[in-house]
Amino acid sequence: MEGNIRLLLPVVAPVAAGIAVLLYSGFRRVRKPLLAVVLGILVLETILLGLALTGEGSLLLWQLTDVVALRFNVDGVSRLFAVLTVGVWLLAGVYSVAYMEHEQEEHQFFGFYLIVLGVLVGLDFSGNLITMYVFYELMTLTSLPLVLHERTKEAVAAGLKYLFYSVAGAFLALFGIFLLLQICGNQTFVPGGMLTAIPEGKAGLFLAAIFCILVGFGAKAGMFPLHGWLPAAHPVAPAPASAVLSGVITKSGVLAVLRVVYFVVGPELLRGTWVQQVWILLTLLTVFMGSMLAYKEPVLKKRLAYSTVSQVSYVLFGLSMLQPQAFVGALSHVVFHSLIKNALFLCAGAVIVMTGKTQVKDMKGLGRRMPVLLGCYTVVSLALVGIPPASGFISKWYLAAGALASGTGIWAWLGPVVLLVSALLTAGYLLPLTIEGFFPGADWDGEALERKAAAEDQKKQEPSAWMLVPILVLTAGALLFGCFPGTLIQMLETIGAGVL
Amino acid sequence: MSFVQNFPFFSIIIAMFSGIISSVLDGKRARNLCLSVIVLTTGMSLAVLHFCVRTGQSYTYMMGHFPAPWGNEIRAGILEGLTAVLFGLVMFFSVTGGMDHTAVDVETSKQNLFYIMIDLMLSSLLALIYTNDLFTAYVFVEINTIAGCGLIMIRQIGRSLSSAIRYMIMSQLGSGLFLIGLSLLYDVTGHLLMSPAREAVAGIEAAGLYQVPMLVIMAVVSVGLAIKSGLYPFHYWIPDTYGYATPTASAVLSGLVSKGYIFLLIKIFYRVLGRENVIASEIVNVLFVFGLAGMLMGSVHAILERDTRRMIAYSSVAQIGYIYMGIGLGTQAGMVAAIFHMFTHSATKALLFISAVGLYEVSGNRKDFRSLQGSGYRNPLAGIGFTVGSLSMVGFPMLSGFISKLLFATSALQSPHKMLPTVIALAISTILNAVYFLRLVITLYTIPGDSPENKEKELANKEKAPEKRPVLTAGTWKLPLAIISFILLNLTLGLYSQPVVAWIGSGLAMFD
Amino acid sequence: MEMPLFVNMEETVSIVLFGIGFTMLMLHRNLIKKILGMNIMDTAVYLFLAVKGYISGRMVPIVVDGIQDVSAYINPVPSGLVLTGIVVSVSTTALMLALTIRLYERYGSLDLDEILMRAKEEEKI
Repeated sequence: MEGNIRLLLPVVAPVAAGIAVLLYSGFRRVRKPLLAVVLGILVLETILLGLALTGEGSLLLWQLTDVVALRFNVDGVSRLFAVLTVGVWLLAGVYSVAYMEHEQEEHQFFGFYLIVLGVLVGLDFSGNLITMYVFYELMTLTSLPLVLHERTKEAVAAGLKYLFYSVAGAFLALFGIFLLLQICGNQTFVPGGMLTAIPEGKAGLFLAAIFCILVGFGAKAGMFPLHGWLPAAHPVAPAPASAVLSGVITKSGVLAVLRVVYFVVGPELLRGTWVQQVWILLTLLTVFMGSMLAYKEPVLKKRLAYSTVSQVSYVLFGLSMLQPQAFVGALSHVVFHSLIKNALFLCAGAVIVMTGKTQVKDMKGLGRRMPVLLGCYTVVSLALVGIPPASGFISKWYLAAGALASGTGIWAWLGPVVLLVSALLTAGYLLPLTIEGFFPGADWDGEALERKAAAEDQKKQEPSAWMLVPILVLTAGALLFGCFPGTLIQMLETIGAGVL
Repeated sequence: MSFVQNFPFFSIIIAMFSGIISSVLDGKRARNLCLSVIVLTTGMSLAVLHFCVRTGQSYTYMMGHFPAPWGNEIRAGILEGLTAVLFGLVMFFSVTGGMDHTAVDVETSKQNLFYIMIDLMLSSLLALIYTNDLFTAYVFVEINTIAGCGLIMIRQIGRSLSSAIRYMIMSQLGSGLFLIGLSLLYDVTGHLLMSPAREAVAGIEAAGLYQVPMLVIMAVVSVGLAIKSGLYPFHYWIPDTYGYATPTASAVLSGLVSKGYIFLLIKIFYRVLGRENVIASEIVNVLFVFGLAGMLMGSVHAILERDTRRMIAYSSVAQIGYIYMGIGLGTQAGMVAAIFHMFTHSATKALLFISAVGLYEVSGNRKDFRSLQGSGYRNPLAGIGFTVGSLSMVGFPMLSGFISKLLFATSALQSPHKMLPTVIALAISTILNAVYFLRLVITLYTIPGDSPENKEKELANKEKAPEKRPVLTAGTWKLPLAIISFILLNLTLGLYSQPVVAWIGSGLAMFD
Repeated sequence: MEMPLFVNMEETVSIVLFGIGFTMLMLHRNLIKKILGMNIMDTAVYLFLAVKGYISGRMVPIVVDGIQDVSAYINPVPSGLVLTGIVVSVSTTALMLALTIRLYERYGSLDLDEILMRAKEEEKI
C-alpha cells in the first residue's frame, strides 16, 4: 500500500460499520442506538470524504497478479461522483429513519445500506479498469439485499432479475475489459484515453469489445436492451433503497461507461465508428421508450423507474456525442437527475407510508392533505421536465447544444428532437399527479376521505420532519443548481477539457 | 542427496501402508490414522516444494537399484510439489468436513474401510503426481479407480451402488484405452520411463517414422484420460456419482480424482509425447472443442437440474471443460491457466459440496433446491461457504475463479485462431454459471412466505419426511473448520495468485 | 510384398480383440457380459505386450547354466508388465463382480438399464 492512505478510510469505514450493524445482535431489538450509529457513520463519512479529497490522491491497494493491480486514483470525475454519492446517501439515510419504521429487519437494511455506500465510494475512487470492475461487482452483490429486503415472492423475483441483468452485463463487459487489458495494460486512467490508434488488424474485435462494454455497463444505467431490471426492482424495494438505486447506482453504470470511453479507449478512436452510431441509436431509443412506458404506467414507483430508464439515457446520449458541451450536459444531468429522482422517489415513499396508495389515479386530492410534499414533487418534476430556471433546463440545454455541434450527421438534429419529445412526455407523466393532487375537480369528495382518515386515526397530514427535510433539501438543491450553475459547470468544463 | 528428496517416495508409501494397517483397526482409529497421514504427507510435499523452489531444479529419484532406462523413478519438481500440497489440503478438509456424515452414512463395521479407501486414494494421487514411469502411472490409475469406486459404493443405497458400477465401467473403458496407448508407446519407443521415452519420441519424430502409430497413441491416451476425468461427451457418470456418494467422497472425487488424471495427461504431453508434437497432431484441437462443448452443455444441464448436489456435479462437467479448453489452446499460457483452474476447481468444488451438506442437513435432508429456502439463515456458516464457492465459480473478483478467468482470457487472446470461440464460450458459460449458482444462493437467503399454499406444502412434506435425522454437525468444530479453511484457500488463490502462477510456470518449464 | 496385417498377425489379432472387448464393455447391457468384455480387452493388451517382448528363437531369461550373452534372451520387461497387468485386472474384475452381486441381490436383474431405472424409482418412493 503506497500513496494517500486517507483514501482508504471513506471506503472501509462504512463497510466495517455495516458489517458490525449486521452482526451485532444488540441492534436487532432496539431502534435508537441503531439509528444513532447509522446517522453517525453517515456524517462521519462526509467528514472522511472531505479529508480524503483534500489532497491529490493515488493509492496502490493490492498487486493482484503481475500485471493487474488494484489502485485508487482521485480525479475530477471521482470527486464529482463521490460527493454526489455521499450527499445523496446522507439525505436518504435521514429519510430512512422515518420510513423504515414500517419495515421489518431494519438492521439488515441499514447494514447493507452502509456497506453499499463504502463500495460505491470505492467505485468512484477506482483508478483502473480492474479495480473498477471489482467494486462494480461488489456493488451489485451488496445492493441486492436492498432490493430483496421485503422477501416477498415479488421481491425475490425482482432481486433475481436485478442480479441477472447486472451480472450478465458485467460479464459481458468483463471480456471487453480483458481485451483492453491486453492492449493497454492495466494503467491508471488517463484523461482522453490511453490509445492513439485502433490496434492494427484487430479493429473489428476491438470495436466489438468496446460495444460489449457499453452494453454491459449500460445494463446498470438501464440502457436498452438490458433495462428490464429497473421497473421490476424499484417498486418492491423500500423507498430510500429505490431512491439511491435510481439516483446513484444507475449512475455507477454511467461512471463505468465514462471511464472506459473517455479514460481508456479515448473518444477520438470511437468517433464515427459503428460503435458510436449504434450507441447513439440505443440511447435515443431508450430515452424515447422509457418515457413512453412511463407515460402508460399507472403505478407511481414504476412510472418513476421508467422515467429513470429514460433520464439516465440522456446522460449516456450526452456521452455518446463525444463533444465537450454534450459532455458537460451529461455530467450535469448526472448531478441533477440524482437530486431530482431521489426527491421523487422519497415523495412516492412518503405517499405510500402516509396513505398506502401506490397508483397514481388513487392520489387525487393529495395536495389538500400534504401541500408541502406535493409542492416539492411539483418543483422537482418541473426541474426534470426542464422548465427554467430549475436545474434540468441547464443540463438539457447543454445536451442539445452539444448534439447540434457534434457533427454526427443525422443524430445531430434527431437527438435534440427526441430529447424534446421526451421532455414533453416527462411533463405528461409527472404533472398529472400535481394537477389532480391540487385540483381534484368538483366531483371529488375530499371531506368524506378526511372523515375516513380521521376515523382511522391518521391525524398527521404532512409526513414527519425526518422525511420532509431531506425532500426539501433535495428540492432546494435541484432549484438552486439551476439558478446558480456557474461553479458546477466550470468544474465540469475543466474535466471535459481534459478528456476531449 | 538431501534427505528431503526421499519425501515423495515416503509420502506415497506411508499413505499406502496406513491403508493396509487400517484394515485391522476400528473406525475411529483408522480415521485418526488417516488424518494424521494426510497431514504428514502434506507436510512432506510442502518440504519437497520448498526444496525445489530453493534449488530451482527438479530431481529424479531412483527406486530400487536399477539406473535410468530400466528401473523405476520418481520425479519431483515445483509443479509436482505444489499440486501435492494443494491436493493434500483439499483432501484433509474434505475428510474433516464430512467426517460426521461419514460416521452415519457408513455402517459401523465398515468405517475403517472408508478410511482405507481415502488412504489408498491419497497414495495413488501422490503416485500419479510424482511418478516418472508410465506403467506405474497405469497401476496407480487403477488403484485410484478402485479406491474411488469403493468410496462411492460404501454408502449402501441403491443409487450409489448403481452409480458405482457405472463409474467402474466408464473408468475401465478409460484405463483400457490408456493401457493400450502405453503398450503401443512401449512398442514404438522401447521405454516406459518418461525421460528416455521422450528422447526416443524426439528421435522418431525427427526421423519422420511411425506417424500413424504416434497419432493413435496420442489420441488413445488423451481420450482414455479424458473419459476418466469426465470430459464432456463422456460425462454421464458424473452427476450420479457425485450426487449420491457421502459428502467427503463427493468432495474428494470431484475435487481431486479427476484432477489427478488431468495432471497425468499434462505430464504425459510434456514429458513423453512432447508438447510440439501434440500440438502439431491436432489432438489439442479435439480436446479444445470438447472442452468448449463441456463448458456450455455442463452449465445447461446444471440449469435444468433441480437436485442441488447433481447441479454442483454438472457444474463440475463445465469446469472440467474449462480445464481442457485451456489445455486445448496449446500455448504455455493456456496450460498455466488450465492448471490454475485445476487448483481453483479443487478448492471451490470441495467447498461447495461440504457446505451443501451443512445446508441440507438443516433442511430435512431433502436435496431438491427449493427445500433449501432460508437454509442460509439456519446454518449461516455453510450459507456463507456456499455463497463464496458459488461466487468463485462464477468468477467474482478477489476469489480464485476470477484469476482463472483472467488467465484463460489472457491466454486466449494470445492464440489468434482460437481467440473468438474461447472468449465467446467463456462469456456464455460464465453467464450460465451465474444463472444457476446465483439462483441457488438467493434461494438460500429467501424465507418461504407464509401463504396458505406454502403451509400446505410444508405439512405435506412433514408427513412424508424421508428420514428424520438430527443435525449432525451442530455444535462441532469440524464442518466450520473445513468451510473456513476452504474459504481461506479460495481467497488465498484469488489474492496471492502471483506466486502460484509463477510456480506453475517454472514447474512447467521443468517438465521440458 | 506381403500384407502388413498378416505379417504382424499377433498384433492385428490383439487389436481386434481389444476392439471387441471395448465394444462389449461399452455397449452391452448385461453386467456379466460387460465384465467379460473388460477381461477380453485387458487380455488383448497382454497378448500384445507378450508378443512385443518375444523375439523368435531366443530363450526365456531364466538362468539355467550360467549367464549367457544378452542376445540369447527375449525381452523380459513386457512379461513383467503382463504379470502386473493381470494382477490389476483380477482385482478390478473381482470388484466389479462383487458390485454385480450386490446389485443382483437388490434388484434381481443383471440388466444395467433396468437396474438404473429401478434405482431411480426406488429413490422416488
